[in-house]
Amino acid sequence: MAQAAQKLVAKVPKLVGAAVTYTKPRLATFWYYARVELVPPTPSEIPKAIDSASGLIKSYQAGRLGQTTVKDALRNGLVATEVLMWFYIGECIGKGGIVGYNV
Amino acid sequence: MVPPVVVSPLIKTTRWSALLLGMIYGRQRFNYLKPIAEEERRIEEAEKAAREEQERIYKQLSEANADTILK
Repeated sequence: MAQAAQKLVAKVPKLVGAAVTYTKPRLATFWYYARVELVPPTPSEIPKAIDSASGLIKSYQAGRLGQTTVKDALRNGLVATEVLMWFYIGECIGKGGIVGYNV
Repeated sequence: MVPPVVVSPLIKTTRWSALLLGMIYGRQRFNYLKPIAEEERRIEEAEKAAREEQERIYKQLSEANADTILK
């Protein structure tokens, strides 16, 4: 029993090294994409966002809703769902747990 | 590799503001639910003590009543 535990402890640095070599390139690709796609907006981009939002409202009022293709509608629906999911991730962070409130 | 997509500013702002709003909502709901849960726990403790007392009395009574010489 003690020998098995010792052998396991001796294998831990090799396992850690293997995990590091496995995750390093994947982490690199993740950073490569995240640095462009997942960054928060800079303060200069916020007026542009407000402009796009008002542009959306105007195009809705101009009746362009009937002209969107199904493909476009599906794509926009998926993007909207993803944005909504960030709200739930924020809720998980705020309540300090993944499932349920640990009161 | 595919070059990373330039995300529109509207999507970026909505994403991160949704994250922020979610964090605030989660924290506020947690603070709202916490005293309610503590109150419930306290009430449960008090009721449990009362229930245990009742059960003890009942058990003692039933043991006393079952104690006959006709066993």
